Amino acid sequence: MNRDELQEKIITILEDDFEFAHPGLTDNLRDDHGFDSIDAIELLAKIETMLGFQLARAEKEKAMSIRTINDILDYIEAIQAAHPS
Amino acid sequence: MKRRVVITACSAITPIGYKPSDIIDSLLQGRSGVKPLRDDGLLTQHIHSRVFGTVDYPIDYGFTRKDTKTMGPVAFYACQVAKDVLAASGLEQEFITSGRLGVSFSSTHGSPTVQRNIYKTFFSKLPSEFSSIGAVDYLKSMVHTTAVNITRMFGITGRVIASSTACTTSSQSIGFGYEMVKYGMQDAMICGGADEYDTTTVAVFDNLLACSVAYNDRPECTPRPFDIKRDGLVVGEGAGAVLLEEYESAKRRGATILGEVIGFGCNNNGGDLILPNLEGITTTLRLALKDADIRPEDVDFVSAHATATKMGDVIEAQAIDAVYGGKPLVTGLKSYMGHTMGSCGAIEMILTLYMMEQGFIAPTLNLESVDERCSMLNHVRTITKAQTRIAAIQNFAFGGVNTCLLIANGRNAGV
Repeated sequence: MNRDELQEKIITILEDDFEFAHPGLTDNLRDDHGFDSIDAIELLAKIETMLGFQLARAEKEKAMSIRTINDILDYIEAIQAAHPS
Repeated sequence: MKRRVVITACSAITPIGYKPSDIIDSLLQGRSGVKPLRDDGLLTQHIHSRVFGTVDYPIDYGFTRKDTKTMGPVAFYACQVAKDVLAASGLEQEFITSGRLGVSFSSTHGSPTVQRNIYKTFFSKLPSEFSSIGAVDYLKSMVHTTAVNITRMFGITGRVIASSTACTTSSQSIGFGYEMVKYGMQDAMICGGADEYDTTTVAVFDNLLACSVAYNDRPECTPRPFDIKRDGLVVGEGAGAVLLEEYESAKRRGATILGEVIGFGCNNNGGDLILPNLEGITTTLRLALKDADIRPEDVDFVSAHATATKMGDVIEAQAIDAVYGGKPLVTGLKSYMGHTMGSCGAIEMILTLYMMEQGFIAPTLNLESVDERCSMLNHVRTITKAQTRIAAIQNFAFGGVNTCLLIANGRNAGV
């Protein structure tokens, strides 16, 4: 999945499942969209489903530094690179 | 410090209606909210009792996803009635978030609907099923989910009490909330209880032979508190919330005073966890009178727990007779909607407030021929005009917990 495809999927998830209105790639997820710790855990579960495998605990912990949609995309690309299957 | 505690707002979602006018009309028309048990695709086919006190009308919650992401069905009920009482109260937002307002609210066991989905994973070896347990499933199903979803939705920062004691859940919630305000720990409390549609509770009582089974083809004819042909309780769903406030501050801000909580009695039978206990119940009623510092003859109306079980009604009748004699009017309000479990105490208090305000007492529905062991009471058999000054709301629970709340008419609260 290239970055454009990934971006389209993530934005669809944020709009459909997290009710984001007009999400921007550099928006602050918490301040601009009310994204909280509960949402972060739910999003990780959706990312696991999308990727088709379970994330290791260390990988999940790295997600705690995510602040923007661009950060989400960077995070998933790094995960994909670490799981080259 | 002992302060007067008044009721300044209330709301109930019940099998006989949601709007006060609908509930009052149901009481006046003798309309039952007991319907055929809904199929849950699992337990229903094995349960002998096929009736349920059902909330079958749409509710326009208007909650956003931000609100609902930690809410199971029971929290929807709870937050809706809490929203109603806050809206009706006119309390300032500054007060709501000040820490001086607390929440005393609970349910029998959180959200069974969410718990059932979690349990499904026990019977699957697929990793995908395990990961289907949502991160927020605990928040939706935990036993204090109603109380903390209310605090979260409205930014309430005061004390949280989540007393889960089955059928006395919400009467304890109100009683403990009353004590919080009376003794100055909080200035106001949102109190109540809720329970959602749940067949596991029906199955439990069904297996105990405590559920009604003889009226499956005529749901509106059961339960039948105090009636010779009663054959057990009917489980139901619903929610009720009241706002309790310290009297002087409520008066200062011009709040509408619906009633006053003047006494609360609560104890435990100290033994059997199921069987009703005459001594325990009688003691509770007397504890409430002592707390209120009133005489038995001051009580005009008793809202009896009256689940329509064979022994429970007889023991309760003996307790009422021992404490009050035959003077106060007695009604079993569960006859209209079944036993709404954790919400029954709050709902029965709210219905009592409505009747006090309207100047009538509704009869016990389906009470056609009084069991002679219960006949010493002043049963309400038809719509009765009454200017009720003081009412008792009594509830008893599995676990041997007994409660009695005494409330005074709001018209008398200023004297």
